[in-house]
Amino acid sequence: MAKTIGNYFDELRGTRVWRSVFRGGTGSSTLRRSLAIQQNVFLHLFSTKVRRRMVGLSATWYLGTLTFGTFLILVVTGILLMLYYHPSVPQAYADMKDLQFVVSSGLFLRNLHRWSAHAMVFLVFAHMFKVFYRGAYRPPREFNWVIGIILLLVTLFLSYTGYLLPWDQLAFWAITVGSNIASAVPLFGNKIHFLMLGGNLVNANALLRFYVLHCMILPLTAILFIAIHFWRIRKDGGLYAQQSEPKTLAARAAGSAAAKGAQ
Amino acid sequence: MEPSQNKSSSLWQTLFGHPIRAFGVVSLLFLISLAIAPAKNHFSEWRHYQKQYLVLIRGRGDAITLQRHLQPGIQQIWLPELGVVDRCTSCHVGLKEASLADVTTQPFRRHPVIPHTIDQFGCVMCHRGQGAATTVEEAHSSTLAWEEPLLPARYVESSCGQCHRVPLTGTPQLNLGRQLLARNGCVHCHTVKLPDGTTMKATDDPPSLVHIADKTTREWIYAWLKDPAAYAVSATMPNFKLSDDDARDISAFLIANSTPLPGDTAPVAATQKAPDPTAGASLYGESFCASCHAVQNAAGNLVGGDVGPELTRVGSKVKPEWLQVWLRNERIYDPPTEMPHYRFNEQQVALLRTFLLNKTDSDLLANVRLDAATPEQIAHGKTLVTEYGCASCHEVGGIKKPENFAPELTRIGSKPVAQLIFLPGMQHTLPDYIAAKIRNPRSFGSALKMPQYTFAPSQVDALTTALLSLTERARTLPAALAVPAPSASTYQPAGRAGQLMADLGCFSCHAINGRGGDMAPDLTWEGSSVQRPWLAEFLKNPNTLRPALIRRMPRFNLSDGEINELTNYIMTVYQSPAIDRDSMPLSGYPAAQVEQGRQLFYSKYACQSCHIVDTKTDKGYIGPTLTQVGSRLTPAWIYSWLKNPQALRPGTIEPNRNMSDEDARALTAYLATLKSSGKPGTKVARLEARP
Repeated sequence: MAKTIGNYFDELRGTRVWRSVFRGGTGSSTLRRSLAIQQNVFLHLFSTKVRRRMVGLSATWYLGTLTFGTFLILVVTGILLMLYYHPSVPQAYADMKDLQFVVSSGLFLRNLHRWSAHAMVFLVFAHMFKVFYRGAYRPPREFNWVIGIILLLVTLFLSYTGYLLPWDQLAFWAITVGSNIASAVPLFGNKIHFLMLGGNLVNANALLRFYVLHCMILPLTAILFIAIHFWRIRKDGGLYAQQSEPKTLAARAAGSAAAKGAQ
Repeated sequence: MEPSQNKSSSLWQTLFGHPIRAFGVVSLLFLISLAIAPAKNHFSEWRHYQKQYLVLIRGRGDAITLQRHLQPGIQQIWLPELGVVDRCTSCHVGLKEASLADVTTQPFRRHPVIPHTIDQFGCVMCHRGQGAATTVEEAHSSTLAWEEPLLPARYVESSCGQCHRVPLTGTPQLNLGRQLLARNGCVHCHTVKLPDGTTMKATDDPPSLVHIADKTTREWIYAWLKDPAAYAVSATMPNFKLSDDDARDISAFLIANSTPLPGDTAPVAATQKAPDPTAGASLYGESFCASCHAVQNAAGNLVGGDVGPELTRVGSKVKPEWLQVWLRNERIYDPPTEMPHYRFNEQQVALLRTFLLNKTDSDLLANVRLDAATPEQIAHGKTLVTEYGCASCHEVGGIKKPENFAPELTRIGSKPVAQLIFLPGMQHTLPDYIAAKIRNPRSFGSALKMPQYTFAPSQVDALTTALLSLTERARTLPAALAVPAPSASTYQPAGRAGQLMADLGCFSCHAINGRGGDMAPDLTWEGSSVQRPWLAEFLKNPNTLRPALIRRMPRFNLSDGEINELTNYIMTVYQSPAIDRDSMPLSGYPAAQVEQGRQLFYSKYACQSCHIVDTKTDKGYIGPTLTQVGSRLTPAWIYSWLKNPQALRPGTIEPNRNMSDEDARALTAYLATLKSSGKPGTKVARLEARP
């Protein structure tokens, strides 16, 4: 059965339409394969060749891919939610109620967004632990680890800004407490607090700011850094799997990495 | 274990063993889970109820009409200016269908007839609950994300009170509750600010305790403090559940703190001989004391009015010296009292005093033994009086009236349930909380200060209703919706007549220019209405105008000078601008017109159904007797009254008969001839005497 599907797929790749879109033709030669990857704006970020061992579950547990998957779900559901949501004080909570009670599958949409957000934070951490304990942060991948940290922060800010948008008591007080923590910064604390909320209290300005951050600035930042993150995977020698490392690097790391014992 | 593990691992192998198979399985699961959402959407409760409704109406005669009225899909009443988004009508589809009167199953019952249309205010405004919700649970109950459940039907009148500050005929429970709030002194301690910015005023008049030692004894104070209801079943003072020692110390403080009033201690005038006991009772009756004061009869029922205090056991309370001064002129002890100054002569004072002092209850003070008060007890008493907030209601010398003694109740009707502390076993709803607080305040903690009232269950419900009307919504509604209570008139007649009217307590019974009681007729236009000789005679010797009434204005023993003063003032000042008293003569109407009027009276308008002109034949007992109306009322007033009674006295039950000018003129002419034969009042007095 698997073979049949493969055959159909090969046939599809041979059609004129497919070839006009993807340019690379059929055939499994290394050249064809690398052309197929390099001539696609999305795929060109990835390595042209990946070892079968490295896409096995045990290599990464797919944690990075799953994180990206949740991000895609969040973008899609988020855009749909934006169709129903007004970031205004009198309307925001009523829109939540409308999503829950009258929008077709609105509750599903909102829950999907919410649970994906929770899952993404969890997966980001799991991904980081995996990278850390595997020692995949070591040179030449150290800069990609830094980008990963930036993506962690962006994820957390996305979660935090999204929390205010339902405009209920939980949201209001969570943001009040959170923004008060910011005002504890020495010297500039109150300025940061004011800048965050657009005022001294959580109110209409804060709601609008958090909305813009949540729906525009932070997602674009995330997309930008995700792209860099993926591109660096390729440039840094592909997905990390222990045995694929050059001997010299592995030996250099062997002395210092206590993480090695953790495996 | 082993085979089953093998089996499960082989199942895993089958499903996910190969990447492509795993992809297929996961995709299938994903599709199924995606299908759940639209499925849930399709099998929603409101769709189910709309289908049921169609089944319900199928067999009915007007099924086609009903079906045409039914709009499928989610329905809502959206009133942006009121903040109303009510989707209740998605399930309650038959609310407006008058023909569904026989349907008893919810959610298809039609709405009872109310003065507003449903589209005008939506549902939540009156019933609470979550209007935006489209599921039964969320719409009706208190859930994680919604605090306000449906208001139980028995408190629904409270919602009327959000806009209506005036008593409505349809909301007896709310009206009673508001009255109780004011009358039981709740608002002495609890501030209640109304949406119009005013503060709710108490209508009780707790006595000042500054001169309390002149009036009563320490023993009585002790007994009263321990249980006010033991002295008077109608007592509005609640039971503070004081210990014996606390009651002893408070009574000690109040007596020690009291300052004497000059004259209160004058010895009782010696009565020559024991007065006739029935004379006191009949003077009590003639003076219509019972219009304001109640007395418990042998069956335990209160008989009499509730303006003044109950007098069942007054002899066990007051000192004879004080009572004597009070009966001579109560304004010496209590200047703003509502009681009229009767101007009793000394003999009458003695009669009434003896009659009242005989109203004792030997059980009341039987077990009260108090030793002389020590300074420590007095000091402790003062502390207690401050702590219990006695000065919130009573004037107590040396203690300031506390501000905000008890929690403000301005928004109690919207208090979030999360902020309430419930007792074990209580329903966690706001109405239940309020009712429990009123029923037994100390059950929420023995250290609480709120005393125990003795309210009947219906009164608790009424109070709860009144409190539930004090909502946040009431304060944020558009001002145009508010139906404010007319602002209390502060009308005060001027000059010596004004002083005289205050002394006689006219406003306790009569209303003038919006101020005063409703026990007796409104006197705002009295000067246009009556003839001067009749008024002077009435003030000297009042009689009743209505054959079915025994109660009348008491006689005040007014001097001729006082009568003259009052009559002049009334005839000059209380004139209606709409009536020219001199436009029609008092007499001299042509006989033909009089005869025409008489016929109109008896035939066309059948006035004798309610009024009496000929005491032998007429049987009308509803309206005032008209035997001497020609001496009492001015023809100009009679004419205007016949044309439109409600214009002169709003709410009067006399119907507006839409008379032609000619008919009204003829009837006026006829009535103007009905003069008193001799002394005014005699004929009526005779009528009254008839069984």
